[in-house]
Amino acid sequence: MMQATSNPNCNPDGGIPVEINVNGKPVTQNVQPRLLLSDFIRENCALVATHVGCGEGACGACTVLMNGRPVRSCTLLAVQADGMSITTVEGLNAPAGLNRVQAAFQHFHALQCGYCTPGLLATVTWMVEQGLPSDDATIMDHLAGHLCRCTGYQNILLAVCSLLDGGFEGSPPSEYPKLIRTSHEN
Amino acid sequence: MRTEPGFKRQKLVGRAIRRSEDVGLLRGEGAFLADIALPGALEAHFVRSTQPHAIITGIDVSVARSAPGVVAVLTGHDIQFSDDRLLCIDMLENTLDVRQRVLPTDRVRYVGEPIAVVVADNRYRAEDAAELVRVEYAPLTAVQNVQSAILDGAELVYPDLGSNIVHRTHHFDGDPEKAFAEADVILSETFDFHRLFAVPLETRGVMAAIAAEDGRLLVWSSSQIPQMTRGVIAAALGIPKDMVRVIAPRLGGGFGCKENIYPEELIIPKVAVLLQKRLRWLEDRREHFTSATHAREERVAVQAAVTNDGIISAIKLHCTTDIGAAFAMVTNTVTTMMGAMIRGSYRVPSLDARMCSVVTNKVPLNVFRGAGHPQGVLVMEHLLDMAAEKLQIDRVHIRRINLVQPEELPLDRNASDSLGAKRIIYDEGDYPTCFEMAVSDSGYEMFEAERAAALKRGKYLGIGFSNHVEQTAVGPYEDARVSLDLNGRMTVFSPVVAMGQGTEITLRQIAADEIGLDIEAIEIKFGNSDDLPDAIGAFASRGTAIGGSAVRQATRALKHALLDRLAAQLNCGREDLYWSEEGIDGPFLTDGPISVKTGLARLASSSSSAIEEAFRVENIAATYSYASHVAIVEIDVETWKISVPRYIVAHDCGTVINPLLVEGQIVGGVVQGLGGLLREHLLYSKDGQLIPRGLMDYVLPGISDMPRDFRLHHLETPSSVAQFGVRGVGEGGVTGCYGAIATAVSDALRACNIRSMGSGPFKPDRLFAADKTAS
Repeated sequence: MMQATSNPNCNPDGGIPVEINVNGKPVTQNVQPRLLLSDFIRENCALVATHVGCGEGACGACTVLMNGRPVRSCTLLAVQADGMSITTVEGLNAPAGLNRVQAAFQHFHALQCGYCTPGLLATVTWMVEQGLPSDDATIMDHLAGHLCRCTGYQNILLAVCSLLDGGFEGSPPSEYPKLIRTSHEN
Repeated sequence: MRTEPGFKRQKLVGRAIRRSEDVGLLRGEGAFLADIALPGALEAHFVRSTQPHAIITGIDVSVARSAPGVVAVLTGHDIQFSDDRLLCIDMLENTLDVRQRVLPTDRVRYVGEPIAVVVADNRYRAEDAAELVRVEYAPLTAVQNVQSAILDGAELVYPDLGSNIVHRTHHFDGDPEKAFAEADVILSETFDFHRLFAVPLETRGVMAAIAAEDGRLLVWSSSQIPQMTRGVIAAALGIPKDMVRVIAPRLGGGFGCKENIYPEELIIPKVAVLLQKRLRWLEDRREHFTSATHAREERVAVQAAVTNDGIISAIKLHCTTDIGAAFAMVTNTVTTMMGAMIRGSYRVPSLDARMCSVVTNKVPLNVFRGAGHPQGVLVMEHLLDMAAEKLQIDRVHIRRINLVQPEELPLDRNASDSLGAKRIIYDEGDYPTCFEMAVSDSGYEMFEAERAAALKRGKYLGIGFSNHVEQTAVGPYEDARVSLDLNGRMTVFSPVVAMGQGTEITLRQIAADEIGLDIEAIEIKFGNSDDLPDAIGAFASRGTAIGGSAVRQATRALKHALLDRLAAQLNCGREDLYWSEEGIDGPFLTDGPISVKTGLARLASSSSSAIEEAFRVENIAATYSYASHVAIVEIDVETWKISVPRYIVAHDCGTVINPLLVEGQIVGGVVQGLGGLLREHLLYSKDGQLIPRGLMDYVLPGISDMPRDFRLHHLETPSSVAQFGVRGVGEGGVTGCYGAIATAVSDALRACNIRSMGSGPFKPDRLFAADKTAS
């Protein structure tokens, strides 16, 4: 699959100079004042892990870390990120395979279509870094701004809980845990 | 796990293997349509009707054409199609043809209908220029709902057709007249199902380019049906089918919303050809509200004949479905399936169901996860509760005595549908056992004590039940192709577009088991119309059941072909080689059985070409999944917020390929159903404008809405109708939820004397208003 390349069309008329540290690398560009941070990331930086779901800050799919804290990149302008550092999922990735947060999401089947997942990963990474408690109320409170249309959230809650209580250590056991009380009859 | 050279190993099918597709998705590695780079592409933006119903008296694009960055502004006057009617595949002979036109110039029929397309060097400037297009309208009366649409003298959405009723179906079984004449009790109720829609988190998008290497038209579309889309594009543009290639990348959710061919899927390729430029259109969320299909809205007037002992002997119903301004691909299926499947798991020997599709000035309606099943289940379960209340019969007991018993299966429901399966014949199952599994884990025995305790905490508690049978794995046929290279790597080509359901891991499990290779040796390719040009696609819970069967059969054909070539190589008779538990075996293999890889290595000395086989599964009989749901809901006395402390599902989807995915489908489906009943509502204003236009005012269920204690029980009865026992499981979560949640809410509301609110939406403001009326 082809990768997105820098789109010069987003700043055709000069624009305003910004310097934004993106995933540890300084990016200096002239941008139009109205350019959204989400478009800056996706089009100008060709980092397409950050997805846009609603364009109004309701769904959380476009969440990235700005100076370490989760923000909605679809309701920020690129110029507002001038001088800031932005971390996207590309910046959270291990060189190969999955990092601990990602591995927990796979293990607990906490994603289906995967479109909302990068935004969740940004927020959950921050939650883990903050050492938040693993109770349901805390998790629900912090994930209230993320919409997932596929999973029904059960497995997201379990994955995040296992990350926060230290139960998930990154090398998933091979057996599928009893996430949901289940009986098999034949 | 596996020991060479043997073939014996633990089967992959049936195990909760983690999804291989997750790695790329979690790393965010370009997977969705908008992630695909199309260097130099121009961007398109659509000018859409602001009027629900109007004659277009003028379109002035001159100012827009001279706006900065604009390359073209085109209307239906500038773009002609060889065939400008969009596809509908469920029209019967007597159906009036209201297929949507691609780009009208004379009349608009809903807010959001495309009128012009603006092409610019970037999206911001395309949107700027779109605001400069001046459309003049002579407004007509908007047809707002089915009640007014069918009145004599109603404004006609299509004046030439003479009626707003455009499609009728009728399901008839038994002797309803006799049942009603002999009934002890006749129940009567009307349900107004509100409009809502699928809302995949990824909106739609289309890109088009002329391929440099062969001059073919290359189209990317976020579609569940790329092969069918290819045919429609070719016909509309008047070019041969083999000059068009459609690619459906991974979808960020589909749910039926992307089981349609939309105007933009024809306009973008057409404009790319006209301009000889690469072109991209990405739908934004605000646009999605009036440019993606809507769902569910129908009015169901129902009567039930009941005997004194609680047996429902007959149902009569009129279902009037508000299909909006035109047919989408499978619009009529919604109304058809509602009536055809209303009896679900219950016997109800007689049925007289009359369904119709009615046009109004709203966005076209199409299937959404469950098609008409959820509406049918909700109505049926309400009827059972009404009968139980009237006759003072226990709510669980009345369900027990009406359930179809295992010995009555297979059961011919004598109701035809309009898509493929000509008759509805339930295959085997055990509905009563399924129901008991759910009820026994629900706390029903102690529920009145629980209810009383909750009331002291300021919560109205309610319990609801549903049983349903769902038609899955609908035809007509499906294709698969497999290719095995001599290094032992197998490529599976399937039309089952990946939209979250776990296509890759499922098909890898199936193929690896069949051929006897490790799962890592199998690669899945989907969504490219060149690979299987005439295949069908991913919808109607058919991906695993039908698409998976095709893969399995193609792999079996490939195993035969492998032995053919090996026999020639070994200079032995074909009958001297066969597949055994150990791999390839036969009298000429003096060192014992050989593995697939060893066999391939022997072939490599004479030829390097891969072995390829294709298979088409045909004459598909639909299979019927079934489930029982029990919901416990809690309504806050002060805020009227509804939560779901406990939810129990028992279900049977036949042979399970991967239990991880099955559970994911059911839990996700239930929460989608919850959203539809508790939160989502596509409300139109009196002047025909759609009110919610984004996810701030169309509120999807969030993490705090999910059931807190979710319990899932599995039955696994392989279907004898399906080739490998597999029934579909993609939609039942929503379907069962509709019955269980609606009856649970009604049960809770009895405590405050609020009469059943039918099908909702059970939003706090509506409950509050109903309480004011009741007291």
